[in-house]
Amino acid sequence: MRIRVDTELCQGHGRCYMLAPDLFDADDDGYSQPTVERTVGPELADQARRAFMNCPEDAIILTEETR
Amino acid sequence: MTDAVPQSRYTLERPEEAIDPQSIYRDLRDNAPVVQLSGRSTTGTITISRHEDVMSALRTPDVYSSDSSAVQIGNIRPLVPLQVDPPHHSKHRKALDPLFAPKQMVKYEPRVRELIRELIDEVADQGHCNFHEAIAEPLPSTIFLELLGLPVSRVDEFLALKDGIIRPPARSLEERYEMVKATGQKIYAVLEEVVEARMAERQDDFLSTIIDAKVDGQPLSRDDVVDIGYLFFLAGLDTVSASLECIVAYLAQNPGHRQRVADDPAVIPHAIEELLRYESPVPVVPRITATETEVAGCPISAGSRITVLLGSANTDERFWDNPNEVDFDRESNKHLGFGGGVHRCLGSHLARMELRVALEEWHARVPDYRLADGLELRYSPGIRQIDNLELVW
Ligand code: HEM
Ligand code: SF4
Repeated sequence: MRIRVDTELCQGHGRCYMLAPDLFDADDDGYSQPTVERTVGPELADQARRAFMNCPEDAIILTEETR
Repeated sequence: MTDAVPQSRYTLERPEEAIDPQSIYRDLRDNAPVVQLSGRSTTGTITISRHEDVMSALRTPDVYSSDSSAVQIGNIRPLVPLQVDPPHHSKHRKALDPLFAPKQMVKYEPRVRELIRELIDEVADQGHCNFHEAIAEPLPSTIFLELLGLPVSRVDEFLALKDGIIRPPARSLEERYEMVKATGQKIYAVLEEVVEARMAERQDDFLSTIIDAKVDGQPLSRDDVVDIGYLFFLAGLDTVSASLECIVAYLAQNPGHRQRVADDPAVIPHAIEELLRYESPVPVVPRITATETEVAGCPISAGSRITVLLGSANTDERFWDNPNEVDFDRESNKHLGFGGGVHRCLGSHLARMELRVALEEWHARVPDYRLADGLELRYSPGIRQIDNLELVW
């Protein structure tokens, strides 16, 4: 699974870094990182889905891999 | 033109409507998703209520402008950043966002906790209180004035000024307009006085930081700083009081949910998000169309005033599973309680921290409480304050 935050869409609601603190972090302005795509291990897959399902702007891009 | 838009008997202003807006939202979504309400502040505006339409209004600021003609709140210049449209909007946000970022808020938490403890100490042993007067109103006002750098000794004066804008005791639209304008002038006067003092000598407060902020490499003018202060004043006080009141009123009437919060403080952040969704203490945001557009098949001309019903989007069954169920464990909660799109609430991280600390401390001291016998809650129209929130324990 891979995730990234779309900076065009992210408005800094902060739902992601509250629900998935091991994956997302607030920058100094309160917007979310990482903005560069990164791979998520199985241990954090639940957190990733949770953030994805709670972003009001649909700014989290999550790609499930079937490998 | 608003002629083509049907008229509704709802106002969303009568007390019996304000206590149960969710069922009105539902009726509007199902039967009149584009409608003119007949309330005092909504007459002549077009109200939109479905999640899909609300979301697209928030997301297309070039069509749905938030400029100062969208709403009259006593200001003579646009409020910054609320009444600034893109592309200028993002420059102002860039300067203000760091002040309100989650990392900053951590610093203020101890002071919020200290203050809320003092407030609770005053009432905890008496077995009853008016939660609005004792807790929900003084907490955010005091914190906010301290942060901004306005003299806390004048808190009562500021509260009266803010109420003069948000809920003037006017009997007609003209009277309302006059009252709001007069109060607006007083607010400008107070802010100008404080901003000038800070321009001469900085202190450790938001106003000083804002004075030194740069937009496009340029310092802000005195008027810019005053305009930001004016908006903060109206955006940062009532909203938190109303949210705290809506949350506590819900818990006071739903013992199962209350017990869970009292037993497990870790659930509080989720309870806050879920009740901001369900109660939507700030239920509407105003816009004005910059171009012709269409909502749910209904043509809307440029220059139409639009009432965007966040509260209805937050309970739309087209978008949510079981929207009328309050579920702290909801898997997916994309609520719009803080708005959405570029104007997403600047103070949301401050507000969340204040709400969380207040609910933690309150439930640690007063875990078991309910509404006073026979109490009919009085929700204010617009921002949903409950000034008669009498609790007993
Ligand atoms: C729980 C409490 C709060 C709620 C529910 C709330 C709600 C909202 C909403 C719905 C908007 C969007 C307005 C629009 O789109 O037209 C907004 C914007 C705003 N809020 Fe809040 N608010 C809260 C607390 C605060 C606090 C404590 C501040 C402190 C200063 C604040 C400052 C602002 C500002 C400056 C804006 C305008 C942002 C912009 O236009 O870019 N709010 N708020
Ligand atoms: S929840 Fe969405 S909008 Fe909010 S900070 Fe995270 S990615 Fe950005």
